[in-house]
Amino acid sequence: MAGIGFVLRKLSRQDNLIGTVQAYVISALISTGPWLFTILALGSISALSGRFVSRSVLVEFRTIIIYNFAFSLVLAAPIYMVVTRYLADGIFRQDVSNTPGTLVGSLVLLYAIEVPIACLFYIFYANLSTELVLAAIINFLLISGVWLISVFLTALKNYRTVTQAFGLGMLATVLGAGILSRLYGAAGIITSFSLGLSIILGLIFARILSEYPHPITNPFAFMRYFIKYWEIGLSGFIYNVAIWSDKWIMWFAPEADQPASRLITFSNYDSAMFLAYLTVVPSMAMFILSVETNFYEHYVKFYRDIQQLATYKQIHENWKTLVRSILSSSRGFLVLQGSICVMVILTSSKIFDFLGINFLQLGIFRFGVLGTMFQVFSLFILIILSYFDHRKATLLVQSVFLITNVGFTLISLKLGFKFYGYGYFLASLVTFIFSAFITMNYVDKLIYHTFITRNASVTE
Amino acid sequence: MTSDQQKINVCLLLEGTYPYVAGGVSGWVHELIREQSHLTFHITAILPPDASQDYRYELPDNVVGINNIILHRLQRGENMKSRAQHQLFQQIETPLLNLQARARTKDLKKIMALLQDAGGRVGSQVLLDSEEVWVMMIRMYNTTMGNNSFLDYFWSWRALMGGLYSMLLADIPEADCYHALCTGFAGLLLARTRLETAKPCLLTEHGIYTNERRIEIGSADWLEDPRSQNLNVERNRFEKNLRDLWIESFAGYSKLCYEACDRIFTLYEGNKDLQLEDGADPEKLFVIPNGIDFERYSSIQRSESHPPTIALIGRVVPIKDIKTYIRAVAILQRSVDNLRALIMGPTDEDPDYFEECIEMVDHSQLNDVIQFTGKVKIDEYLGEIDVIVLTSLSEAQPLVILEAGAAGIPSVATEVGACREIIEGRSDETPVMGAGGLVCSLSSPGEVAHALQKLLTDPQFYQSCSGNIKERVRKYYNKTDQHKAYRDVYAQYTG
Repeated sequence: MAGIGFVLRKLSRQDNLIGTVQAYVISALISTGPWLFTILALGSISALSGRFVSRSVLVEFRTIIIYNFAFSLVLAAPIYMVVTRYLADGIFRQDVSNTPGTLVGSLVLLYAIEVPIACLFYIFYANLSTELVLAAIINFLLISGVWLISVFLTALKNYRTVTQAFGLGMLATVLGAGILSRLYGAAGIITSFSLGLSIILGLIFARILSEYPHPITNPFAFMRYFIKYWEIGLSGFIYNVAIWSDKWIMWFAPEADQPASRLITFSNYDSAMFLAYLTVVPSMAMFILSVETNFYEHYVKFYRDIQQLATYKQIHENWKTLVRSILSSSRGFLVLQGSICVMVILTSSKIFDFLGINFLQLGIFRFGVLGTMFQVFSLFILIILSYFDHRKATLLVQSVFLITNVGFTLISLKLGFKFYGYGYFLASLVTFIFSAFITMNYVDKLIYHTFITRNASVTE
Repeated sequence: MTSDQQKINVCLLLEGTYPYVAGGVSGWVHELIREQSHLTFHITAILPPDASQDYRYELPDNVVGINNIILHRLQRGENMKSRAQHQLFQQIETPLLNLQARARTKDLKKIMALLQDAGGRVGSQVLLDSEEVWVMMIRMYNTTMGNNSFLDYFWSWRALMGGLYSMLLADIPEADCYHALCTGFAGLLLARTRLETAKPCLLTEHGIYTNERRIEIGSADWLEDPRSQNLNVERNRFEKNLRDLWIESFAGYSKLCYEACDRIFTLYEGNKDLQLEDGADPEKLFVIPNGIDFERYSSIQRSESHPPTIALIGRVVPIKDIKTYIRAVAILQRSVDNLRALIMGPTDEDPDYFEECIEMVDHSQLNDVIQFTGKVKIDEYLGEIDVIVLTSLSEAQPLVILEAGAAGIPSVATEVGACREIIEGRSDETPVMGAGGLVCSLSSPGEVAHALQKLLTDPQFYQSCSGNIKERVRKYYNKTDQHKAYRDVYAQYTG
């Protein structure tokens, strides 16, 4: 019999309407996790070792750690973002047998890129003693390893193991630093930090292998995801370059430090900014809670009802509820973070007085507090966007942040000390407005986008 | 069309068949083209998106061109200003809804005109994926089946619209006349061609498209939606469920195609009723039966010395209802000594069903009576066969009855397709020739056994059936007549 007529069966009910986004969002969160970790590590080690070693040793240590954190994040981000997506898809397909293989493969890839770069930089550019070079390189590789390996547990939502490992590692670091700093100076502190990182790495590694008792297969299968999900890799890279770009630019300020090691920093700027970041901790906590409970529930209902053959009326109703939950949460953050921001700015001189911080940093700190508020709002928006699998917009928002942060920081550098930090604040504000605009536009047409532009069976 | 290309006499509009799929209709088309070697043919093949594009036939030399239209696959096309899109979808909505309810040619005309106004480069970007068409789709959903699953509607809507637009936006070659081999999407393409070119349009339907889709859709369980069992009696004229949507759309395409055609051919009388039901003009309806090589089969020598032999010639698949045949044999062998019953056809198409048949033969202890021959050349067997049996649940115009009939072998067949016409003669047969076998109800082993018994044990009746069927085949089912009929039709319309 002639006639096709009805070959449409397979077109009718497809499973891929819901993307695999749940785990992807975690990687957005760990983009801030490392930040807080960096700040806390620097702060606590400095505070403790400060009792035993001279100020110059401490500065040497801090400088190397800042370099290691900054560049390890930038280099590891594209890999860990793509690996996160690869793992998430595996979990969605209920096939996680490749997990140990991927862990090994991605570590090999990461080190293949980082070892030459770290060696070139520390051996040929930096002017450091041999033991510091060695300690710095090892520390750099360990930090990068921690970023990458955390993905394997966060993608599986295993927060507890991560927290325990980090806690134990940091405890070892602090204890080690107390002893080694007295014997070996900066190299001793770095090495004790490396010791702590090794413990973190070892614990998480063991945890992964025990949770996934599979042989190591297809270690480089995730590589094709660099082509398929290039936006994700690029996003991770741009995001980390963007959040560091104002610091890097400010390192070239006339007031910056020019040590003999040739590792320039601007400790007044860096410290003020790091301190400012701490003000977003309450909002971050509230956000995670709110996403996991309120938003996620409506989000899942929206997609599940579509799959379970809801009428358009029901879908529209669910969409309205979802939008309402986003708006009400946003209001909550605005109020919470806004109040914190105002309070901190008003009392900043008292805080500085209390903590004994250099008052030169006060202006930078105030801009920093405003800037981090808007940056964390943008981050929330980015996470919402990644829930809706809007990869292009995510990339766009991060690019805007990079461009404005570079541009405005350069201008504020030109304008002089009074304006330091203003560039970062302005960049965060512009990025926030831009991302809010994009997201409102997108969420406004969410049903359309879900069926047409986000639907792999339509767009393929 | 480039200038060095040959002029096309007949453009065949084929859906999911020749030359990419082997089968009855494909074989028919292949032979048609070869027999009309004085004409040039172009093939426009409509294919599903994932179909194989390997030729299963060697194209005859008089095929001067072939183009494929992939169903649902549209060019992305150019974008349009959103105002223009808004207007387009305001205006196209009603004719689209009509097409899904009670299609009229003027609806198709309106849709074509709107696409024309939109500028030739419109494609999936605007017609399927734009925000403006989304709004229209929601409106159409609310009008037709707002209480049904939106996800299902969405996919059905996309598939229907994708099918429609891929027919309306495809290139059609210039030809003297256009000949479709089924309605459905090919029929829609024919209707469009008629409106665009005003050239003669012909249709030959082997099976009736809407009827086959009705059966298919009726048994498609994924269309089942509890919500569609709407108890509300006051349904508006467009309101329907997913099944209705599909069936009414196909029925609409058939109607448009019938309206576009100058002549509509089918294989046997029975099909005409279904075509009339779908809105075909009775003036346009003609029957051109398939013919067989009468000379070849009538010259087969029939042996005198063989056990009483009956044969079912066909694939061992459920639709042939082999089990009823086996049951009939079980009854028949009680009254006919030394009976031999053949099942001649490939057994590998549905291995599970074949296995069940074997078990049934074992269970009925018919191993000495029933023989599965597999796929064989029937010429070699016909000489030793006394009666042909056809227990099929569905047939169009089964050639085996004709081929055996030419050799003077009567048949016992179920009342499906053209079987009664062939065995008992058409209602307008003059002079009336008489029965060439017996017709039975579906799945009635007793009736089949009884008919067979009569033929095998009543030599006088057997002889009259044998003579009648041979004469009827010679007169009405000769292949040369079939080819001549199409030669005449083409002569009239290719001018």
